[in-house]
Amino acid sequence: MILECRNLTVRYGKVTALRDVDVQLEANRIHAVVGQNGAGKTTFARVVAGLVRPDTGDLRMAGAPITAGNVSISRQSGIELVHQSFALPPSFTVAEAMQFGADGGTLFTKKALERRWQAHLDKLDIRVRADRRIRDLPVELQQAVEIARALVSDAKLLILDEPTAVLSPEGAARLFDQVRHLRDRGVTVVLILHKIREVLAVAETVTVLRGGERVAGPLETTQIDSDRLAELIIGSASDELDEEDRAALTGAAIPAHAHASAVSDGAAPVLDMRDVSTLRDSDGPGLESIDLSIRPGEIVGIAGVEGNGQRSLVRTIAGLANVSEGTVGLDGRDVTRKSLADRRVAGLRIIPFERNVEGLSLNSPLWENWSALGLLRKPLFATISPGGFRRGCVQALDNWDVVYADVNQHAGSLSGGNAQKLILSREIDETARLVIAAQPTRGLDIGATAFVWDALRRARARDCGILFVSSDLDEIFDISDRVAVMVSGRIQAVFEPPFEISRVGAAMTGAVQ
Amino acid sequence: MDEILIATLRSGTPLVYAALAGVIAQRAGIWHLGLEGLMIAGACATIIGIVVTQSVLVALIIAVAVCMLGSVLLWLVVEKLKANQIIAGLGLTGLGLGGTTLAVQSIFGTQAAVSAPFGLPKIGPAFGPFASLSVLALLMPVAVIVVWIMLRRTRFGLRLTASGEHPFAARSAGVNPSMMRLAALLIGGVLCALAGAELAAGSLNIFAQNMTAGRGFMGFAAAIFGAGHPIGASCAALFFAVVGALGIRAQIVFGDRVPHDLLLALPYIATVFGIWLSARLRGGTKALTGFGELRDQ
Repeated sequence: MILECRNLTVRYGKVTALRDVDVQLEANRIHAVVGQNGAGKTTFARVVAGLVRPDTGDLRMAGAPITAGNVSISRQSGIELVHQSFALPPSFTVAEAMQFGADGGTLFTKKALERRWQAHLDKLDIRVRADRRIRDLPVELQQAVEIARALVSDAKLLILDEPTAVLSPEGAARLFDQVRHLRDRGVTVVLILHKIREVLAVAETVTVLRGGERVAGPLETTQIDSDRLAELIIGSASDELDEEDRAALTGAAIPAHAHASAVSDGAAPVLDMRDVSTLRDSDGPGLESIDLSIRPGEIVGIAGVEGNGQRSLVRTIAGLANVSEGTVGLDGRDVTRKSLADRRVAGLRIIPFERNVEGLSLNSPLWENWSALGLLRKPLFATISPGGFRRGCVQALDNWDVVYADVNQHAGSLSGGNAQKLILSREIDETARLVIAAQPTRGLDIGATAFVWDALRRARARDCGILFVSSDLDEIFDISDRVAVMVSGRIQAVFEPPFEISRVGAAMTGAVQ
Repeated sequence: MDEILIATLRSGTPLVYAALAGVIAQRAGIWHLGLEGLMIAGACATIIGIVVTQSVLVALIIAVAVCMLGSVLLWLVVEKLKANQIIAGLGLTGLGLGGTTLAVQSIFGTQAAVSAPFGLPKIGPAFGPFASLSVLALLMPVAVIVVWIMLRRTRFGLRLTASGEHPFAARSAGVNPSMMRLAALLIGGVLCALAGAELAAGSLNIFAQNMTAGRGFMGFAAAIFGAGHPIGASCAALFFAVVGALGIRAQIVFGDRVPHDLLLALPYIATVFGIWLSARLRGGTKALTGFGELRDQ
């Protein structure tokens, strides 16, 4: 056993992130730790890496006990963690990013530093120049650099936290090759995953976490099938889900189905973007000649590796980007030069990427957050009635099953799922024509994820058009009537059902037109 | 020409030291608005130290100790009590300005300027017309290079920079960002003590109330102007000093035609111009862009 964890318990305030977790992992194999969002996978990884001090429990590495909650001690004993969102300072060069986490050597020259780490990168077969800056690297290379950084010292146990979340299917396959290569060189690898398909493709054993507890494992992946694993991951809540949603949640199957689409042919599109280009801004390059239309009662999924213009697309439709060419039509009207407020009046609704930053004011009461949309519709000097908003808010929150104590409580005190429901209750109203759902299920547990999907399907049934942005292909396939793939600010390809993961995946890498 | 160069070096040296302190703090993720307070504390401690102990070396040690103490105070308030660093820095500046007046009042029983019998050693006749500059002016370029090497060519510097730019990355590598900030503030304290010592004991050998007159803030501005790079910040500080020296020169030449106050204001106008210019240039640390993000929203 290279790693032994006993009785690990982590509490954040009232929330128990891990409860009495015992895990033993054998050396020199590829292990997977799986579970839904909120199952405690990332917390588990951080405890092992020393970033989080457990309330109880202890760790042994290769038989020797190690002090929990100290990164330096964990690293000295050979444990390295590659984070889901990478931990590399963007202004550093690749060489500097390696050097700052390594030991040995004091003063250095730029040349010597780059030579030293170029050799390291070459040895790992990672093709990147050591003098390039982190912020200029595409996300797949950043991950490769992060892995190389984790291997600067003599790592015995490498933990990768959701490494495939930012990769295309091809990128994931390459990563898995590299993981096998590392295993052959004597490194034990722990992959934190949430897709059954990926677990079965690469891992030798699998450990399942659910609600902070270990429900099974480590099990040999040769002795388990995807149905059994899906059941372990989702648990009893799976009764409420239909087959397709279950498959989408766990990435168990390759969905290839057609929807009973509510699209009314011939109806004027609710979104009509023609040849739209935008200027480059602080988030990166702008859009290039985007043609996209969404009909009433249609869900269009935007697939793509993160950072390929999805945010610019949402900002452009919202009227927050500098459109240099083309026109944006909303429900039959040209709104290219209209402000966001005008577009909202015309029926645009947005579930934003960052629900805690763009979607809610965390320090304001629930009813103020809820009434923001109503306030925007009133004239500037219209009087407002807080009592009326409070009553309306109570009714809306009850309709949307939000769990809360008081409409005066701060939005920041809601759980992720309830916060998202509050946003849904505000954004999906009767006058909505086009709903932009940007990563609406990110970080939500199963119940809340299924709720969001349901809400969007109900909006579709009411003839809303929906733009669904996600980096998770399984959920895109499950919910969308059409899928557009974005690469570098362009729409690379558009797919109709049945969707094939291999073709969509190839488009994500820019390979197919 | 020599006169302007000498005036530039004389007034620029304290600015450069203060700017270096600002750069190091900024790299570690702290907007150091306490530079002014530390600088005047250093000036006051140097002069009182010389008067009381009759030794420049002991006086400098006292000044360094006082400024490091002030830095630790700032660190405690910002890192341990989680106070807003801008307010805490301004508070430290207030403490420095008020505390030095109080110290002079209680030791000498007067609020008048205190003069010391001698000041920092001069670099001597070997340097011709520059003989009257202090050794700290001679050491200034060395300090710039040392700070640059420390920040960009040692692992310590990389860890310090990472602590400011991406604290989570630092923590993941086993670095404690809070301790790196303490280290940055302590080094900054030493530099502020030198800035104050040069200002008070470099040529005039007196300490007067409020004698820094915003030079700490100009150092802070230079750190931003230089986008967190020690050489850039030093050039910015020297640019402010040149403008100041030209201003004094201009008073002599155009004194009758241009209002006196306008010429005196030149360095400060240059500072505002410098900050505007730096806002147009990209780069710097995460902590630096913090204000920019607010503005964009």
